[in-house]
Amino acid sequence: MEQLHIVGGHRLSGKVKISGAKNAVLKLMAASLLVENECIIRNVPLIKDVLTMIEVLRGLGVEISWEDDAVLRIKPKKELYFSAPDELVREMRASVQVMGPLLTKVGKVKLFQPGGCVIGQRPIDLHLKGFQALGAEVIEEHGYVYAQAPKLKGVDIHLDFPSVGATENIMAAAILAEGTTVIKNAAKEPEIIEEQNFYNRLGARIRGAGTDTIRIEGVSSLRKTPIDYTVIPDRIEVGTYMLAAAITGGDVTLVDVIPEHVEALTAKLKEAGAQIIIEEDTIRVIARPKLSAIDVMVLPYPGFPTDIQPQMTAVMTLADGTSLVTENVFGGRFRYVDELVRMGANIRVEGRSAVVKGVNRLTGAAVIAPDLRAGAALVLSGLAAEGKTIIEGVQHINRGYEKIEEKLTELGAEIARVKE
Amino acid sequence: MNDQTIRFEPKDEERLEVRRILKEVCSALNEKGYDPLDQLVGYLLSGDPAYITSYKNARVLIRKVDRDQILEELIRYYMEREGI
Repeated sequence: MEQLHIVGGHRLSGKVKISGAKNAVLKLMAASLLVENECIIRNVPLIKDVLTMIEVLRGLGVEISWEDDAVLRIKPKKELYFSAPDELVREMRASVQVMGPLLTKVGKVKLFQPGGCVIGQRPIDLHLKGFQALGAEVIEEHGYVYAQAPKLKGVDIHLDFPSVGATENIMAAAILAEGTTVIKNAAKEPEIIEEQNFYNRLGARIRGAGTDTIRIEGVSSLRKTPIDYTVIPDRIEVGTYMLAAAITGGDVTLVDVIPEHVEALTAKLKEAGAQIIIEEDTIRVIARPKLSAIDVMVLPYPGFPTDIQPQMTAVMTLADGTSLVTENVFGGRFRYVDELVRMGANIRVEGRSAVVKGVNRLTGAAVIAPDLRAGAALVLSGLAAEGKTIIEGVQHINRGYEKIEEKLTELGAEIARVKE
Repeated sequence: MNDQTIRFEPKDEERLEVRRILKEVCSALNEKGYDPLDQLVGYLLSGDPAYITSYKNARVLIRKVDRDQILEELIRYYMEREGI
């Protein structure tokens, strides 16, 4: 079993290079099921979720290999399986994203109900309703989802909630459908633009990603030319390192970022008193030792991201005053609070909100990461705490952060991965 | 009080800068296999630089001018060409 050992109290400074976006890479890997020839995906982070997705794709009949550092070569076989191994689907929620591409390519798909972070109910109802609207027959029984449709038909779909996964799955399913599909109240995340870019390079006709209306004109076939695609930087990793600078009163420059993707966080950090300098594709965060308390409201993109909420709450535990953090996206996202309290934080959770009273110090403790982003929040708290923090549940952190201890050590942190 | 609407004309060098950036960005998009028209429309509508490739620094370049400047130049060009 792995642990992260952190000795807190070091002010972070220097430069950190941001990796490719986990939430884009996983979806592009799933999208590669529609590739007629082969594709190269660059800027792929070496994280557990990517390794799991590689196995999911191999299980479906895809040839996939690392060409180089951060470069994947992917080539689907002519005949694909329509069902991925249960244990892999159970392990990673993003595996549900193979449904849309498989429905398009194979005409049917069978999946175990997906797993992933336990951060609240995240049913795939919206995905399935979208498939049904396109003309697929969907059956849920014995813990499996089964969908099939020899031919899908374009339709107007209004999502009840701007779900990222549903938007992406419906987009994939509509590519070869007969006629035009319009997704309204679509999610606007940058990762959806990445998928649109990728599919259009394959010959699809999709417009509107990044807005709340996406139009997919069905095409009869996709191109057979190979493609080479470079993934955007990970905005959640960007946010995490910005907040690592903030909680340690540091001065950190993040390199290879798209500043527009973290505008909500940038605004909040400025409000708390940090200095943010944006130049081309870098962001520099200069934080004073004590930031001011602020209120944070989590909303779908471009609002404040749910995936940065735990890290922001960690920063607020040491702020001057009382903060109110309200979570409007995932219900179970305060499961880490007990661990922060163990480190000396003063947090009270009331329904969807956490009231965070800033304290003068956190103290190192043995804590357990309950999920990926909560794990990041515990790392940040450990960086600022007095003494040693030992974090268990590192497997969650491994899912989404590439070389986290190496990057933080480069910035001056005292952190080590220890195998028990 | 002067209540007449005043029209501010962008300076020639600003317009030339927009055109230069558009050419370079379109060239980079073409080289990477994108349809520049689709990508620019997507960028202008959403404001998200993820539409623009990082190849040849195009993503940094496009952000040197505001989206409204780009749109204005495109519409101005069209109107001039069509005699509108």
